[in-house]
Amino acid sequence: MKLSSMGYLIKEGFKNIWNNRMMSLASVVVLVSCLIITGAASLISLNVSTLISKIGDDNELTIYLEYGLSDIDSIKLGPEIKKIQNIESCTYYSREEAIKEYKKTLGNIYESMQGDGNPFGNAYKVQLKDLAKYKDTVKQIKQISGVETVSDRSDIASKLTKLNYFVTLVGSWVVLILGIVTLFIISNTIKMTMYSRRYEISIMKSVGATNAFVRIPFIIEAMMIGLISGLLASGVIIAIYNPVRDAASGVVRLIGNSTLSVEKIWLPTLLLMSGVGVLIGIVGGFISISKYLKKEGGEILG
Amino acid sequence: MIHLENVSKVYPNGTEALKNISIDIENGEFVFIVGSSGAGKSTFLKLLIHEEKATFGNIMVNGHNLMKIKKRRVPYLRRTMGIVFQDFRLIEKMNVYDNVAFAMRAVGTPEKDIKKRVKYVLGLVGLKGKEKRRPSELSGGEQQRVSLARALVNRPEMIIADEPTGNIDPERSFEIMKMLVEINNRGTTVIIVTHEHDLVQEFGGRIIRIDDGEIAEDRYVSTKYHKSALRIDEDTDSDDGEKLPIDDTAETAENQEQKEAVGK
Repeated sequence: MKLSSMGYLIKEGFKNIWNNRMMSLASVVVLVSCLIITGAASLISLNVSTLISKIGDDNELTIYLEYGLSDIDSIKLGPEIKKIQNIESCTYYSREEAIKEYKKTLGNIYESMQGDGNPFGNAYKVQLKDLAKYKDTVKQIKQISGVETVSDRSDIASKLTKLNYFVTLVGSWVVLILGIVTLFIISNTIKMTMYSRRYEISIMKSVGATNAFVRIPFIIEAMMIGLISGLLASGVIIAIYNPVRDAASGVVRLIGNSTLSVEKIWLPTLLLMSGVGVLIGIVGGFISISKYLKKEGGEILG
Repeated sequence: MIHLENVSKVYPNGTEALKNISIDIENGEFVFIVGSSGAGKSTFLKLLIHEEKATFGNIMVNGHNLMKIKKRRVPYLRRTMGIVFQDFRLIEKMNVYDNVAFAMRAVGTPEKDIKKRVKYVLGLVGLKGKEKRRPSELSGGEQQRVSLARALVNRPEMIIADEPTGNIDPERSFEIMKMLVEINNRGTTVIIVTHEHDLVQEFGGRIIRIDDGEIAEDRYVSTKYHKSALRIDEDTDSDDGEKLPIDDTAETAENQEQKEAVGK
């Protein structure tokens, strides 16, 4: 391929998009939808994984004391808890503090639950020295009289692991099916373009254009459709990421601090989705043009 | 040069389009391929341009062995020939200039060379001044001249014309034929498939009749255009005024020399 031809071929690729603008637009719309769903599935899976690893790394436990245990009795339990070898630190967390925090995040629902209406008991927040001794430590804490229960994050982690497995499984199928759909859409668009330009292709072949030369404008067209779709889809995802994350945090408090921020995901999302769009374009375009050149595209005199 | 030796073509549906034909066409010949519909004329052309592959036999075209040619070499075989279609195959969204330039762009010719060459070839086929017209603004004869210019623009060794006058009126057909004779007189081999008996008789040259997949007749007809089959390079009585070579490079060199002389 001569370098002088490349400029001409790239220009032809862009012209194709414009000449088939309705079909190109339809492809972009379908592709953007597919990419948004694919991207959202991937981001959910990624965030759940992050959440799980953060929970796993977190060596903080909450010890809930029996409801109705007086403040003095509760404070007295502090030194007893500290005696356990694996406890690094131990902080008292009163029922008043608990209700205050809940009111802060969930508003007026807890407004009437002041004083005797407070549904929480007193608690302690403790840091463990060694996370591997988690189960033994919990057992020891539970033996102390006055302790109601210990927050068991391993349970949440195992539930989230199951959720992540489910999200990954569903996400993989979504990505696979939508990947095939997008490939089909792109190759169909290119097929239409090629049909509308069949004379040009037969003339090109008759004067001795190589298959590579015939192929390039169509590949560029498909690539551009993929790129535009990738950029638009990532734009939509980046724009709605924070509002969706905030809404989810309102329901599950853990999400707020333990998921990825938009600053961390915007660049990889943009690059990855544009890259995927371009790749789908190249593969889809290549499949349809190669098929065409093998069959109808080989005909010159007809 | 074309060399066919015991060539047969059987299509997958069992149709035997060509049956053991052998023929040689030398460089510079002017050849009519005639025959009824379904006789095998189109298959013959398709074999020459390697749109179809022969089932048996040997085929050599312009130095390429078509029984052994690799797929990636086929474009280079086709660069040695120019094809003129019955339906012109012009691209409506392109003007006359771009329709011709397109053939050069397709083989990767730099734009500055294209500009010079297209201008020259359009002059050769009498379309000077009509560069900006769209195909639909031209008569059938003019459209076929654009198609001819496109076939010529890459300096092929051979022109293959498939029913070139099939879609144009008799007067314009005559003009196109005269142009093909002129091109032949400049050394390019011309192979024309046609149904039009009158044109064949008028212009003469070598006439190959294919009938039911076989060469039924291979003879020379002398006319004022082709006086002797053995002297195909001889000048003709063509009444076209100015005679231009197909290749403009010689002329350019001459101009260059003149310019240099003036400069001195």
